[in-house]
Amino acid sequence: MNRLRIWWSKLRHYAGAVWAENIKEWKLELTYKADFARGLIDPVVYLLPYLLYGVALVGGRSSENLQRLVGTSDIITFITLGYVFIGFLNMALWAMGFSLRKEQFYGTLESVFAAPVPRWVFTMGMSLHSILHQLLMIAVQIVFILAVFSIRINPLGLLPTLLVIALMLVALYGIGMFMASFTLIFKQGWLVSEALSSILMILTPIAYPLAVLPAFMQQAALFVPTTYGILTARHFLMGEKISFTLNDALLRLALLSLLWVAFGLLVFALIERQTRRAGTLSHY
Amino acid sequence: MPDRGIKTELRAIGAEFVKTMRIWFSYPIMLVFWAVFPLLWVLPYIFQGRALVGSGTSEAFRQLTGSGNYLAFVLIGAMISTFVFSALWGVGNSLREETYWGTMEYIIASPTHPLVILIGKTLAEWTWSTVMVLFQALIIALFFGVQFTLAKILPVLLLVILLMIGFYGFAIAFAGFTLLIKEVHGWVHTLEWIFFLFSPIRYPVQVNPITAAVSTLIPLTWALIAIRGIILLNRTEVNLYQTVLVLTLMDIVLLTAGYFLFIYLERKTRRDGTVGMH
Repeated sequence: MNRLRIWWSKLRHYAGAVWAENIKEWKLELTYKADFARGLIDPVVYLLPYLLYGVALVGGRSSENLQRLVGTSDIITFITLGYVFIGFLNMALWAMGFSLRKEQFYGTLESVFAAPVPRWVFTMGMSLHSILHQLLMIAVQIVFILAVFSIRINPLGLLPTLLVIALMLVALYGIGMFMASFTLIFKQGWLVSEALSSILMILTPIAYPLAVLPAFMQQAALFVPTTYGILTARHFLMGEKISFTLNDALLRLALLSLLWVAFGLLVFALIERQTRRAGTLSHY
Repeated sequence: MPDRGIKTELRAIGAEFVKTMRIWFSYPIMLVFWAVFPLLWVLPYIFQGRALVGSGTSEAFRQLTGSGNYLAFVLIGAMISTFVFSALWGVGNSLREETYWGTMEYIIASPTHPLVILIGKTLAEWTWSTVMVLFQALIIALFFGVQFTLAKILPVLLLVILLMIGFYGFAIAFAGFTLLIKEVHGWVHTLEWIFFLFSPIRYPVQVNPITAAVSTLIPLTWALIAIRGIILLNRTEVNLYQTVLVLTLMDIVLLTAGYFLFIYLERKTRRDGTVGMH
């Protein structure tokens, strides 16, 4: 009973730290108001070149080849739904991965490491802020696309999609921890984030189905949580043909979540210990 | 700007050049990154092309650009945009980086004008991005079969130099902007994406009347259309004179505006006493 109380008190302590970190990030972000407003428009500007490139390729919004590959020809809806997920990927790779480097720039990294909470709590706070921010950006993106392009989705598909997104976020947290640990060694963390983000952007079937990737990339894509997120969401929202059921997708995502979180925490713990031993924490 | 003699200013530019290079070589992995990754970023466009048209050429694309080879189109866009984006990050964002390193106050307090420092950074950036683009051209020629002959390289080089002179003017003005608003990392990203949207780096802007109209104001559009004409369509003489004229005029405007804007913003920041603020 006593142990349960200690455990409960620790959990509340951690939850408080996660919330405090989230609030701190919002305060920092809202200090630069123009930058915050710009951040809301960004996702729309990101998406348009991909849509216009698609239109330039097929000469309209309908592709016969896409119809043959996935059972739907509407390239606008197909690409837009794919790109919504990129925000989540960026969240893990940039917001979380770069979080420790940012603290270093602010001169607060040593204070974070000396605080009486584990580092995963700190990154979880960062992650909570990023998820909330991401949801806000997706809302703006979808309103714009609905207004300009009239995308057609099946509203009944929203519930399973949200379920898949929730699981995907857990796996992405693991990737975020993994990225954050690399910042401790390489310091120039953006480079690691950019490299991994570039690779994952290729593997994840954002604006194309898995079938067009070379075989080795198709295999690698199965280890990326966003692959299941995008394919399942497009399946339920617009009828894309997929080679697995919802149960399969949830099972695989749950497994990937376990693996990525365990892997991310383990790598982070190892690298953190190594950095402390070597005394390079405050190095640039 | 105080008159300290051309030799002193040149020495300061040389010292800044060496300093910037030393910082880059402290992170050797960045060399590999910038040589390879801009080409990897176009892979999603190639796969998207395969998914939407099912082959390496597109008739709709040919009608817009004169060539149906969308693969070569995006690769050339990636190569040329490396110059532009390295200027945006390396020059435009450079004073903000000095703030992070804690060296901005020294630059402002030193008898060398910050503009001289920026010229040093610009030269370093130019050298760096030229090496990267040469690597990329080699990869494109070896693995993607795009041919670069001497007859093509010389006019392309002229266009790139004209493009970059104006763009460095813009980047210097942007560096002044960073002194004023401080947190510009996100703004650089937005600018990047505005270039992606309103110039034909990754898609032919003619596909939409709005992007087509706005793109004519961006030097990169003129340069890319002419460069692709030379490399993909073997048209060495096509509109080259017109493009050179337009780019030269844009250079004059951008360099002059960049210079005066930087001087104004730098003075304003000094007067407001906000140089050291984050």
